[in-house]
Amino acid sequence: MHMHHHNTGGIAIDSYACNSRLRHISAGFKAGFSMLLLLFCIFADHPVISVLLILFAASVTVFLGGIPLHDYLSVLGIPVFFVLLGGIAIAVDLSLQPTGDFYLNLFFCYLCVTYAGILKAFFLMLKVFGAVSCMFLMTLSTPSHELFSVLHKIHCPSLFTELMHMIYRYIFILLEVQHNMQISAEARLGFCDFRTSCYSFGQIAANLFIVALKKANAYYDAMEARCYDGTLCFLEEKKKLPLPYIISSGTFFLFLVVLWLFIR
Amino acid sequence: MKESILEVKNLHFAYDEHHTVLDGISLSVFAGERIAILGSNGAGKSTFFLNLNGVLTPAEGEISYRGTKITRKTLKKLRQHIGIVFQDADNQIIASSVLAEVSFGPMNLKLPRSEVEERVNTALNYMNISQFKDRPPHYLSGGEKKRVSIADIIAMKSEIIIFDEPTASLDPLNAAMLEEVLEKLSREGKTLLLSTHDVDFAYRFADRILVFDNGRILADGTPLEVFKNISVLKQANLKRSLLLDVCEDLAAHGLFPKGSFYPRDFSEFHTYLAQRNSF
Repeated sequence: MHMHHHNTGGIAIDSYACNSRLRHISAGFKAGFSMLLLLFCIFADHPVISVLLILFAASVTVFLGGIPLHDYLSVLGIPVFFVLLGGIAIAVDLSLQPTGDFYLNLFFCYLCVTYAGILKAFFLMLKVFGAVSCMFLMTLSTPSHELFSVLHKIHCPSLFTELMHMIYRYIFILLEVQHNMQISAEARLGFCDFRTSCYSFGQIAANLFIVALKKANAYYDAMEARCYDGTLCFLEEKKKLPLPYIISSGTFFLFLVVLWLFIR
Repeated sequence: MKESILEVKNLHFAYDEHHTVLDGISLSVFAGERIAILGSNGAGKSTFFLNLNGVLTPAEGEISYRGTKITRKTLKKLRQHIGIVFQDADNQIIASSVLAEVSFGPMNLKLPRSEVEERVNTALNYMNISQFKDRPPHYLSGGEKKRVSIADIIAMKSEIIIFDEPTASLDPLNAAMLEEVLEKLSREGKTLLLSTHDVDFAYRFADRILVFDNGRILADGTPLEVFKNISVLKQANLKRSLLLDVCEDLAAHGLFPKGSFYPRDFSEFHTYLAQRNSF
């Protein structure tokens, strides 16, 4: 399928989800299964389980979903920075006495690290990555609007799901408008130095706001013209839930639970 | 005489006090007509359309569809009979997938699910976009978006379909495809109203042309009547259809019958020339 790829994180995720070979499977099932794995990963709190989940999510997304490994890794790279930073903060202690297995003298206090601390931080990072992988398992196979419908089905207030629908659609419209304004500013040397850049950025932001208001009006007119009466309702395609998927995912989960009971 | 399905009487509309956009529009639309509305930017065409659909409420005057006056109460029932395809598809498409988008109208009509499904699939096939069903609208090209926005209205099965500058920003291929769709809709008995700046298109497509100027109807007649009325064209800053110019020029030099035959499009023109040469 041909699609335009925008190279900005969140939007790339959206286009991967639309292209995924797993898209035809019921969104509710994918979301439910991913959330189950995610919760189990946190609840089990065991490095082996975390590693297994990381590998499982990666292989399902790459081999079954058909997303290139390189792209998958770059998407997974988004949270790496935060996780590493958090991990370091947990591994390293501040203390007034030199303690721990390694320490660094900062004159007025010491940065201390213990083997146990490093191991703990490492396991924690694995757990976080396991959970994040489960999340990506869902987001890289299910387009956002299908997730909104799932939320609607589990009786999330329709105010929220409707807002999600509209915000999602609107993000792309505004991004396009912003992109065009950016280009036209650039074409007129709007970003030639720092001062001008700041000014152009402000102008674009202000303009974007006005355009957003205008577009919102036009949008509402168009909705009214099609008999909109206060509730957004769309037809959703009934998606299949192939038996092999249920059996294999059930088996995998059972395997995880049994494994965990043995190794904990 | 055909039956009149839409009656507009003395319509006035203003966005604010000092700026009258529609200044006494009166008009009868008959079933199955193909009406093109010409006029410069800001002449009030789009505003007129939004009034017809009840999105904007006129300050004065009334609109009735098949004898029923449009009021707050009857608005919803009437809206389903008068559909608008907006100029900018991006301002019309609200859902996150093509299927959901086309279903929005029929869902609002509170039809049963099976009926909605049937209508949506028919509309998608009609516009030849079934293969984009699951795709989010922001991954479609301009021409594809336009087709989606037309499918939106086809799914509502409106009797009157209004197109606000349908050919604007379409490439020649998409514009030709659009014209085919309009022909097809017209053959199926839909009443079409469209605004355009393309005089050649209006000349060959419409069987009635309205010229808007400063919120009034300056001329109302067949394409020939309108395009032969030089003073109207001048006042509304309109160009003439190229084909009409060519024919009149040829006629002036005795190369074409004078005042009796006016081909509507180039294929009719070619057929005539071919026949003429064969004598």
